[in-house]
Amino acid sequence: MKTQVQLWVRLKVIDLVTQTARSTLIEKLNFADALRGITHYWYWGMEAEGADAKSVLAEIDRVIRLDSAFTNQNKHLYRLTAGSGQVLGDLPLEKDFGVPAVPSPGPAADAAKGPSRGTAGTGLFAFDCLVRERRRDREAGFAERLNARLKGTKVSDMKHGEVWRLIVGAPSEKAALGDVEKMLVSRSRREGLLLNPHYQEYEIIATTRVEAEKPAASEPSKG
Amino acid sequence: MNSSLEGAVAIIQFPGVNCEYESAAAARSVGFEAAIFRWNEDPRLLDDCAGVILPGGFSYQDRIRAGVVAAKDRIMDAVTELARRGKPVLGICNGAQVLVESGLIPGIHWEKVDLALAPNVMADREGYYCTWVHLRKEKSACFWTRSYLDGAIIPIPIAHAEGRFVTEDALVLDEMKKNNQIALRYCDAWGVVVESFPVNPNGSADNIAGVSNREGNVLAMMPHPERATWLRQVPEDLGGRWGERRRSAAGEAARMEDEGPARAFFAALLDGKGGAR
Repeated sequence: MKTQVQLWVRLKVIDLVTQTARSTLIEKLNFADALRGITHYWYWGMEAEGADAKSVLAEIDRVIRLDSAFTNQNKHLYRLTAGSGQVLGDLPLEKDFGVPAVPSPGPAADAAKGPSRGTAGTGLFAFDCLVRERRRDREAGFAERLNARLKGTKVSDMKHGEVWRLIVGAPSEKAALGDVEKMLVSRSRREGLLLNPHYQEYEIIATTRVEAEKPAASEPSKG
Repeated sequence: MNSSLEGAVAIIQFPGVNCEYESAAAARSVGFEAAIFRWNEDPRLLDDCAGVILPGGFSYQDRIRAGVVAAKDRIMDAVTELARRGKPVLGICNGAQVLVESGLIPGIHWEKVDLALAPNVMADREGYYCTWVHLRKEKSACFWTRSYLDGAIIPIPIAHAEGRFVTEDALVLDEMKKNNQIALRYCDAWGVVVESFPVNPNGSADNIAGVSNREGNVLAMMPHPERATWLRQVPEDLGGRWGERRRSAAGEAARMEDEGPARAFFAALLDGKGGAR
């Protein structure tokens, strides 16, 4: 049986890369009005073949605990999910230094429908943006690394990169997506930050309509 | 706090860089005044400087992508303006990454990001790589390499994880070649450009080690000239005449202070003033 598996990894403590991205987008690239939240994960997505989804997840979980190329138990939180079109889990921070938490995402998208889409209208939209290198050899290396230790499970079609979860306030999903693309792709000194298109690319792996904004909890940090 | 930089080269100190004092010392080794200039000082103070060096290191801890956060800093408005006015600007290693991410290099389209300095691609290893390599000075209008003859072979150290010049736009590479903007290429000890590792130490397109803008006053280079400015910095086991010179000077403290193979990058500053060379 084939199962789509995703591994999401983030720091236990506050992620200063994310904080720098937030402050750069807000203070230097003028997204103060649009950007409502930002989270950063390392991501591995793969197709796994095994007896069933439960045993596949258990076996991958066993192996990644042995290999610091994926997670380091001293500093990372992680979550394994199964099924296509998953949105990020809301992994709690072990420590909170006063930076507001990102609003929780909605339920996972239906696998048959693919990534869920928010409805048009004024609101908040969360985009899970996978940024990958165009070169694929490193991804193949991760698959080999897992397969060398997996028993009864085999993985393939590895995708590895960083996921930026950008929560954007906009009149419509289309407008929000336009802002997201401007935040992502460095096209000039004054536009884009999170990827350089000459060696990286991105795909939106999920879009979620986020529940109504709570002003006190969702104001971006200015610090 | 700098009050005046008139006639001095400004070494920009972003948070996280670590080669600013070495770079200043290298500029001073040719008799040029150099001043460390913090990224958050008043950029108007740069108006009278003779040139700018963006030194190596890890600006903003390489967060998000090497050089990209510094590239968005306000001070880069001033550096861009100085470059536009023809002042010499040199980006070394992380400084090169800042220049590429800011669109100053290759500068074919104004402020457009036309290149990347991507993670190294190397045989049987990945990540950070530190070694001595050889550069070939190419025919170009570059200010910073003009003290070398075309074809000169320059031994020099590299130390980076993201030094692979690459572009998705083939026309940009063609334009760079047509404009003679490729100022430095990785080569072997005899000056032959070999595409494969280890001569090309990071998988850089066309063995590019340094790129200038069209006008030639701005250079982004991944190797570290400030670490090859004195003879004492040359490894004893280096081949060729620089290695021989270093070995013959062993035990003679005064000779160790002699010129190293990359001092001529900084001597270009003197040439710009009608100086000694």
